[in-house]
Amino acid sequence: MSILDSFTRIRLIAGTTFLEAVRQKFFNSLLIISIALVGSSTFFQQFDFGTGELKFITDFGFGALFFFGSILSITATTQLFFYEMENRTALTMLAKPVYKLEFLAGKFLGAHLLMLSFTFVITLVLSAILYWRDTALVARLGDEVILDGPLVRYGDVFLFGFLQWMKFGILAAMTLFVASFSNTNLYTIIVSFFLLIICQLQYIARDAYSGMEAGWERFLVLGLGLIFPNFQLFNIGDQLVFDVDQALPLSTVLQLVGYGVIYTVAFLLLAQVNFRRREI
Amino acid sequence: MNNPAIRIQNLTKDFSVGIRGVKLRAVDNLCLEVGDNEIFGLLGPNGSGKSTTIKIILGLLEASTGTCEIYGKPSKQVDARRSVGFLPEAPYFYRYLTGRELVRYYARICMVPRAQIGDAVDSVIELVGMTEAADRRVATYSKGMLQRIGLAQSLVHDPQLVMLDEPTAGVDPLGSAAIADIVRELKRRGKTVLLSSHLLAQIEGLCDRVAILHRGKLVREGRVADLVEEKDAESLVVEGLSAEGRAAVQAAIEAQGARLARVEKPRLSLDAYFLKEVHQRESEHAANNDSEGSN
Amino acid sequence: MSLLQHPLTLRLRRILFVLLILSLLGLLTRPLEGPAWRVVKSGQPEMNLEAIEGALGQGLVVGVLGGFRAILADFLWIRTNTIWERRDRVKMDAMVRLVTTLDPRPEFFWINGSRMIAYDVPNWRIREEGGYSEVPEARQRAIDLEQSHQAFDLLDEALEFHPDRAKLYLEKGQIYLNRLKDDANAAKWFLQASKQADAPYYAARIYAELLRKQGKNAEAYTYLKDLHRELPNVPYAQKGIILERIRELENTLEIPFWERFQAVVEPVLEAPRKAPAFDVPEPHDHAGHSH
Repeated sequence: MSILDSFTRIRLIAGTTFLEAVRQKFFNSLLIISIALVGSSTFFQQFDFGTGELKFITDFGFGALFFFGSILSITATTQLFFYEMENRTALTMLAKPVYKLEFLAGKFLGAHLLMLSFTFVITLVLSAILYWRDTALVARLGDEVILDGPLVRYGDVFLFGFLQWMKFGILAAMTLFVASFSNTNLYTIIVSFFLLIICQLQYIARDAYSGMEAGWERFLVLGLGLIFPNFQLFNIGDQLVFDVDQALPLSTVLQLVGYGVIYTVAFLLLAQVNFRRREI
Repeated sequence: MNNPAIRIQNLTKDFSVGIRGVKLRAVDNLCLEVGDNEIFGLLGPNGSGKSTTIKIILGLLEASTGTCEIYGKPSKQVDARRSVGFLPEAPYFYRYLTGRELVRYYARICMVPRAQIGDAVDSVIELVGMTEAADRRVATYSKGMLQRIGLAQSLVHDPQLVMLDEPTAGVDPLGSAAIADIVRELKRRGKTVLLSSHLLAQIEGLCDRVAILHRGKLVREGRVADLVEEKDAESLVVEGLSAEGRAAVQAAIEAQGARLARVEKPRLSLDAYFLKEVHQRESEHAANNDSEGSN
Repeated sequence: MSLLQHPLTLRLRRILFVLLILSLLGLLTRPLEGPAWRVVKSGQPEMNLEAIEGALGQGLVVGVLGGFRAILADFLWIRTNTIWERRDRVKMDAMVRLVTTLDPRPEFFWINGSRMIAYDVPNWRIREEGGYSEVPEARQRAIDLEQSHQAFDLLDEALEFHPDRAKLYLEKGQIYLNRLKDDANAAKWFLQASKQADAPYYAARIYAELLRKQGKNAEAYTYLKDLHRELPNVPYAQKGIILERIRELENTLEIPFWERFQAVVEPVLEAPRKAPAFDVPEPHDHAGHSH
């Protein structure tokens, strides 16, 4: 069996996984809630913050993307995995000449595609709202200020979305890893959320390490910093969009992408180790 | 092919249960061979180890000890599954696909060459008698239709060995009979079929050989006729015999030193009776329609 | 069953295996993670965790650290505004501190917070004590001073985060000028503001005006002459007005005609380019609420 065949199978499995996921009510309602939340940020208009309003809208949009994206990434991956297990479509699939790793990779890619569409829709809505408020503000303040181009760097909104998507990839792979050894939906979701929080706070341990005295505590903190990926790395919303002097360097973007890809692949392979032993 | 379709040797599968790791033996030192172009029945009550055995044959579970081969290839290898088609019990499929799309999807998964996919899909759909319903969404199918489209997806890559797990569970007698016909057709085309069931009556007339499992152990194995016939008894089915005639026959039997053990009315199985009645009504209905059509 | 084969041992072995792999991965990705983290971290100001924890409680701290810092600050700012409407000055003070601790990046929080403290709170306090007609002038002055200095503390803290933002210096100048009527100190801060890269042109003009108000006409004259020479020829620089002031001062100072300032007349450039994108005057002016 050639690698190309493998890719074909992964693509086919990812395709049905994605279609199955998009049809879920959960995805659609979450998408609508997120869009509504991003949209509701225009409510800040009332406070008349001036250009501060754009920052508020951006914070709001990025917050919604991070929050609902994390929920979706974990729950959709879990649901798609257990759905196939419980309905035994996995059994039908794996009784074919299909490797378990291909199956896992297909599931992952399907979920990841789902996240891509989610992220894209949210960033698109956010950009549209920003553009609307941006032009309105410039029209209103236009005479009082001298502007050096548009207020918002729209490319950065999408760059943020893209990097968040990379993080959702690690999260989805991590969730698959948890699912590979757990028996229930709920357990997987709860453990994955805990992991998310740990990864989100990992940087505290990572930064505290250098300031600690030698001893077992230092060793523990070192371990914490090493074992869990640093999700705070992707929290770059603050650098982007407005700060003209300090755009995120391309090298950092590439490093973040590399980091995301490595962790995603690693968690998928770890999931495979468990999945191989699992009864379908 | 010189190798048997399935060869299982000293197969044991233990599951450890709970945190303390209590062992639960699902299959116990099983030895079994299924020859090529044979219809083989794996029988047993629920929990007898049928499904575990099937999963090991499919390479979905690893045996604790022992070996399992499909046409000489270890069943653990993904490659061994190229020659296997499998229909799980009560299959569930992506509901938004049509029957044809579903079969096509699995054909692509099994790497059926692009040029052949169309023909392969059409021919298996025809084989299972789903041509008319093939373009309806799977969500609208009845249980029997699901089973048949499931059978189609298991056959689409033209496997030599077809494994059916409880193919007639929950399907009405008509559907069961249709599936039995398909199984016979498969045998006629030279395929090997392994089917598991706890509905023994449906399998009886279908299988060449059966194995009976109980608590993971092989209890009996052999040709159906060999297993069920009373070796030292024969039955004569007679029509139009008077009371005197019967006395004379009995005397003749006893004169041979034998004994008339029992006299009973031969009966059709309820399955067979049901099928006979339904088929009769169907053909009358069809004849009426024809004559109305020609008028 | 030997101990090594016991399912518990096997499970433990698997967990250790996973931890080992992940640790190795952590080490392996450090060359990628390290530099990226330095860049990302530089954009996120350090937080005074203890202050936040006291005000928010443990649960919210997790949320804050988990990446909701900015959004939480936004929400709390909206609450600050409702508290401001209710004129609960103690709570408002605490909220302004909390919001700026959570997200010190937007100047908006600092500036509007200081305006509330310097302009609005004195009004409330004087009213609480009986109103402008009842409270003695000296007491009013004391309250103004106290509140203004609280606002200065806040703005000084803001300057630690944004040492080069003209707006913050201007804000201090405005409080001295409008609330404390202290022209000398106001002038000092307007001068500071005018030295920042993003300073609006009017900062320097106001500084000169304040010099004049203090009677430092000669100083103002020299400053304005230098200013006129340095300023570019753009409409926003308002060089015409500056020249007008120079002429006024020349009259007051009775400068002989032959020593008077020789303005070089140049055509005014069309496309004005000076302020960076965010140097937008705040339309939301709390000073407007006073009196």
